[in-house]
Amino acid sequence: MTNTLHRQGEMESLKHDYIIFAHTAKGKNREGSAEKNREFMRICQKYHPVNMGDVKQGSVLHDDIEFQSLLATMEDGTVAAAVFTDIDTLQKVVEDLIRADLGLCINISGLLDEVRKCCRRVGITRHSAEHSLGVWGALDRLPEREVMEFNTMCGHGMVSFNLIRKMIEQVRLRRMTPKQAAGMMAKCCECGAFNPARAEALLERMRSRGFLHSEKRASSHGLATLPE
Amino acid sequence: MDIDKTKCVGCGNCHVICTMGAISLGEDGKSVVNQDECVECSTCYRVLRNEGYPPWFVRAIRKALFFFKLGYLADIDLCPTGALTPPELTWPRILRAQFSNPTVVHPGTGVPGRGTDEIKSNDVTGRLRQGEAGLVVEIGRPGLGAFFRDIEKVAMALAPLAPIFEPENPVTHLISDFKTGRMKEDILDEKVLSAIIEMKIDLERIPVFLLALEKVQREIDTVISVGVASRCLPDGTIPHEEWVQKAGYPLSPNGKTNLGLGKPRFREDEP
Repeated sequence: MTNTLHRQGEMESLKHDYIIFAHTAKGKNREGSAEKNREFMRICQKYHPVNMGDVKQGSVLHDDIEFQSLLATMEDGTVAAAVFTDIDTLQKVVEDLIRADLGLCINISGLLDEVRKCCRRVGITRHSAEHSLGVWGALDRLPEREVMEFNTMCGHGMVSFNLIRKMIEQVRLRRMTPKQAAGMMAKCCECGAFNPARAEALLERMRSRGFLHSEKRASSHGLATLPE
Repeated sequence: MDIDKTKCVGCGNCHVICTMGAISLGEDGKSVVNQDECVECSTCYRVLRNEGYPPWFVRAIRKALFFFKLGYLADIDLCPTGALTPPELTWPRILRAQFSNPTVVHPGTGVPGRGTDEIKSNDVTGRLRQGEAGLVVEIGRPGLGAFFRDIEKVAMALAPLAPIFEPENPVTHLISDFKTGRMKEDILDEKVLSAIIEMKIDLERIPVFLLALEKVQREIDTVISVGVASRCLPDGTIPHEEWVQKAGYPLSPNGKTNLGLGKPRFREDEP
């Protein structure tokens, strides 16, 4: 799930992008964790995430995956994830998870300060934290900033640059709605970490601001998050 | 990935979906996979629904439409004839799938995705303790992929600084000499979507490692996503922030937080 670490975008956009996921460690809490993962998913489902999934089986936005069948076939050691678009709803999920006391390792990817405040409000102190130091290396090979904002929502790299360009083009030509295009991108993401609501908002924004107007990245290493 | 030439009708849907842009139209009007660039992520096979039409039927329909100067915009998420065929992979090519297809569980770590734990289970494993930092260096991400010869260059730049390579990490399993960072010879021409070198270092050595990365980034033909992690202090502050800032690097406002709800909780006095 480093796949959720390097999401790029403007602060205003990242305020609507939180991923909560459950992890286990071999020999510690992995064995017999399948039922606990199911309970984790049930709790998340109660608060209507915009995406959720299990890296071994796929996300609920795939054509052939229903939530109940996803639950039924979950195994020990999978990584279950759900995406929410606001910190207040996420806080309710965390409160329920604390009450459920599942013993799974619960992680949240999102704005660190907001997550810290959320932890304080529910009466816990965060255990560990991880920052992105951005992308280094051959930055001149990367596409425009807007393409990166979509691509980094699936850190496993399942949403190709070419597909993103195609979807932007389809929206520009009004052959697809932003919702349809965002849904198509989300289908490529296996673990359910892609945020289709944010993708839709980004495509809507393009309609007013223009399509792919930004320059390609500069040749020095960049921040994971771009200035407003 | 292989494409069954007897079935392919050259619709091009897989060209767009391909994460590496490794599929193109051949001279025979059918799609062809550049096997050197394909990372065996199977995204094309998973995402494109197999409509199961006979190839002759699809071609006949197209010819008829062409005759009447009509076009047809098919859905992008389908393969009309089911021409995509996942191959049986053997060593070392199987590494491509293990590092690129998130549904494949890494045999060495038992973890799907890129096979790493980082801080995700730090509350129960105590992998990173007070005073330590975790450095995750993901080569090939975002979106470009990496050959193991590039991954080896990064490993060789960092290994002389004597980090503790995370034992439960799939890249660590492929390093043949931890003093030099040399990797197994027979894997160097294999390409993956990305691979994560994961290390544990002392907090105060963060600047030294970032400087080494700064140098090696110019020697590779791909990108690197860099992450740094640590165990929070009792008041919730993040100790690595100070060292990253001292080194002159900006920190992202977003990142990952382990809430500390895992059980049995690791105690700092455990060996």
